[in-house]
Amino acid sequence: MAYYSERLDGIFQALADPTRRAVLQRLSRGPASISELAAPFDMALPSFMKHIRLLEDSGCIQTRKAGRVRTCDLDRKSFVAAEGWLSTQRELWQARTDRLEQFVLSDRRKGK
Amino acid sequence: MMSAAAFDSARDLQISRVMKVPREVVWRAWTDPARFEQWWVPAPAKCKVQSMELRPGGAFITRISEHGEEFAPHLNACFLAVDELRRIIFTDALAAGWRPAQQPFMTAIITLDDHPLGTHYAAHVMHRTWSDRDKHEELGFFDGWGTVIGQLANHVEDLL
Repeated sequence: MAYYSERLDGIFQALADPTRRAVLQRLSRGPASISELAAPFDMALPSFMKHIRLLEDSGCIQTRKAGRVRTCDLDRKSFVAAEGWLSTQRELWQARTDRLEQFVLSDRRKGK
Repeated sequence: MMSAAAFDSARDLQISRVMKVPREVVWRAWTDPARFEQWWVPAPAKCKVQSMELRPGGAFITRISEHGEEFAPHLNACFLAVDELRRIIFTDALAAGWRPAQQPFMTAIITLDDHPLGTHYAAHVMHRTWSDRDKHEELGFFDGWGTVIGQLANHVEDLL
């Protein structure tokens, strides 16, 4: 549970910034190089790279270098997790309630 | 007795179940650590109750062992209310003794009511809103979030 919430914290933090959201929106259309991603922003490259690193550390994107070009791509698993966190919790509690029910039925029989 | 807390469908969940045993049996399964350990986590994982101090402010700490590995932290929570045979409320927003916790995530309200067939069991679990803490709501965080998630969802569907 703690791990899950830590990971989601990272994703929500990543999404909390307009530059990073714009980068993610661009990447939702497909992979792109750093220079392509940076082009629409009036921002020095080192500042832009901080956003990229945060996105990468939070697990929102993956980057890979080929020659002198670094390409970014979405890490889709993270967003599935962010979208589905409540249903995951619901399944967890449903299964937990199933087990409790099974347990009390057998505990009662044993107690007699 | 119904939970007094309002239900928020965006971040709450509610599980209800009629269990064909008296309330005492459900209460015992919840409050006796040796029994609790037998159902709290799915087999083959194992649960160990480190602390279950059944009083407001009391520690509620469990550990979990998965794949036969050593027991690791699982739940570190604090009881808010313990009403014999009726209700248990706990949260991981606080640790034992009402000390604020590092990673608040949820508050759970467990209620037991009489039912003609036995016990009506309900778990109402309320989760944290991540945006509250960062105050991004007022900065239009939700609009941005909705747009991004919508596009990402489409993207994911395309790829699956």
